[in-house]
Amino acid sequence: MEDRLQIMLVDDEEIVGKRLKSSLEKEGYAIEFFLTGSEALKRLDEKHFDIVVTDIRIDEIDGLEILDAVMENSPETKTIMITGYATAEIAREALAKGAFDFIAKPFRPKDLREVIIKAARQIKRD
Amino acid sequence: MPDKKSRATGPSLGSVLKSDDLAYPDGKFSAEMDRALRERPSFSIRSRLLLAFTLFFVLTLGITLWTMEILGDVHEKILFLEVADDFKVELQQARRFEKNFLLYGTNLDDARQHAVRAQQLTAKHSGRFLRIIGKDSLVVMNDQLAQYIKLLDAIGHGDRKKYESELRQHGAKMLRLAQDFVEKERKLVQSMLVLARRVPFIFLAALAILMVVVGVFLARQIIGVLTRLMEHTKRFADGDFTPIPPARKFRDEFSKLALMLNHMVRELDRHQRILTESHKLRAIGTLVAGVAHELNNPLNNIMLTASIFKDEYESIDEDERLEMLDDLVEQSERARKIVSNLLDFARQSETSIEPLDIRKILDETVALVGNHIKVKKIKLVLDVSDNLPVVHGDRQLLSQVFMNLIINAMDVLPEKGEIRIATRVDGDGDYLVVDISDNGPGIPEHIMGQIFDPFFTTKPSGKGTGLGLSVSRGIVRKLGGYIEVKSQLGKGTTFSVLLPVTSIPSELSANNSKRGKGTLVD
Repeated sequence: MEDRLQIMLVDDEEIVGKRLKSSLEKEGYAIEFFLTGSEALKRLDEKHFDIVVTDIRIDEIDGLEILDAVMENSPETKTIMITGYATAEIAREALAKGAFDFIAKPFRPKDLREVIIKAARQIKRD
Repeated sequence: MPDKKSRATGPSLGSVLKSDDLAYPDGKFSAEMDRALRERPSFSIRSRLLLAFTLFFVLTLGITLWTMEILGDVHEKILFLEVADDFKVELQQARRFEKNFLLYGTNLDDARQHAVRAQQLTAKHSGRFLRIIGKDSLVVMNDQLAQYIKLLDAIGHGDRKKYESELRQHGAKMLRLAQDFVEKERKLVQSMLVLARRVPFIFLAALAILMVVVGVFLARQIIGVLTRLMEHTKRFADGDFTPIPPARKFRDEFSKLALMLNHMVRELDRHQRILTESHKLRAIGTLVAGVAHELNNPLNNIMLTASIFKDEYESIDEDERLEMLDDLVEQSERARKIVSNLLDFARQSETSIEPLDIRKILDETVALVGNHIKVKKIKLVLDVSDNLPVVHGDRQLLSQVFMNLIINAMDVLPEKGEIRIATRVDGDGDYLVVDISDNGPGIPEHIMGQIFDPFFTTKPSGKGTGLGLSVSRGIVRKLGGYIEVKSQLGKGTTFSVLLPVTSIPSELSANNSKRGKGTLVD
């Protein structure tokens, strides 16, 4: 079993996936990228992820539903929400539901990396 | 500059109201109506009633005085008749003694005595005689009496042969005159009494007729004004907020009512405008959020790509660098498109009234809601004729109206329902009509009157604002048109948007009330 952190990335923007996947893999994470919520949910059933990074607004299945699924099936997984427009309400709702943290679009890879490192530390501590 | 800002971000609502529009719509016009109402000479209902009662009083007083006058006359004449009877009796006595003298040669002194007594009577009651028979007759009567006495004296002195026939003739003439007077006066008294007895009945009849006439007149005036005011309030309820113009030459209590109604209508109008405004602001909020989200995606892509390009410049190969640069250009282009769409939209919003191609607007509107319709599996039939007359209006606003009506229809339809959009020109060719029909459950009678009310909604809370129809009606009315509704329970509902066919847009806002045509809902 590899010791790399397993990260799932969900966003309806192809470029987000393309860039972050290659960038984060260089950092030593194992990344799986999904364009739709339904694909992501299907994969969540099959495999355990340490961290899930998901856009809140995707398609018919939104980020909050993915968060619900994660919290239900593997509560130890850290979920990081990407909000298109950082409204306090949605962020608060996500955090109340058990999200680890959120990050507002547009962001730099560095910003996401920092949150992931924070989550990774938390995982180790757990 | 709130004006500019709202234009730039205006959603499918078109031009956003300028804030000074909110104050008073046709403020000047309205104030003029109020002044016209106020500046007429006052003729209050109170003074009209007072006038009517005064008229009755004067009439009654007149009749009473007249009756008193007649009775006074009668009284006077009766007194006169008493004296005249005495006078007549004296003369009769005088003549009897005169006859005795002529037959038997006796009683001449008695005859003279009675004649003198008659003379004394007229002298004593000369005033009364004067009043009743007049000066001329009195003089004639006195002369005849004096002449008679003179003749009696002459005969007494022995000239009997000479004066006998003259005496007789004169005596007969004098007596006849007196008798005639008495008879005439008696008849006069009788007829006056008959009249005095009839007067009250005639007066009562006249009074009754007059009361009916005055009553009907007053009632007609009051009811007429009330009916007119009721028509105005009905018009107000339909959303036509033109103030009440003065219709009479004077003002009264109803004018005050009209003033208050005008005031109420101004307030209503202002509130409606505020409502419309807030509805628009809400829509702007939604639009801004949407645009922000739209813009965030390319921006995020650019930021991620550019950051990685910089951070990992050394570690990535040539091909990848080019790909990243392509992505940057492409994403920038995407952002530019969003901005330019928004600008296009804002530019459209600037022009508010223009000649419109209804067919095009309907096509665009249907395209906008097309997705929702497909999801709900609703059949939409667009039956639009080719040669539609030109109407003027704001395409964004009209599109919003059609959108509201289509969405309303969609919300009540079950899956596989049908919405039919058809156009026609109404009978007189004055209006272009767009019918939006559904075969849904229909609108129950008891809420029919409320559906245009602001905040009235049948949708579950949170789903409908209850402003759609209210705002739509405001928009259509502003363009000089109407929205009519026909609904049959279980069969469906048809909303008809009537837009005036005109070539001069400036006429639209000025005189948009074609009365009697625009009864909505009911």
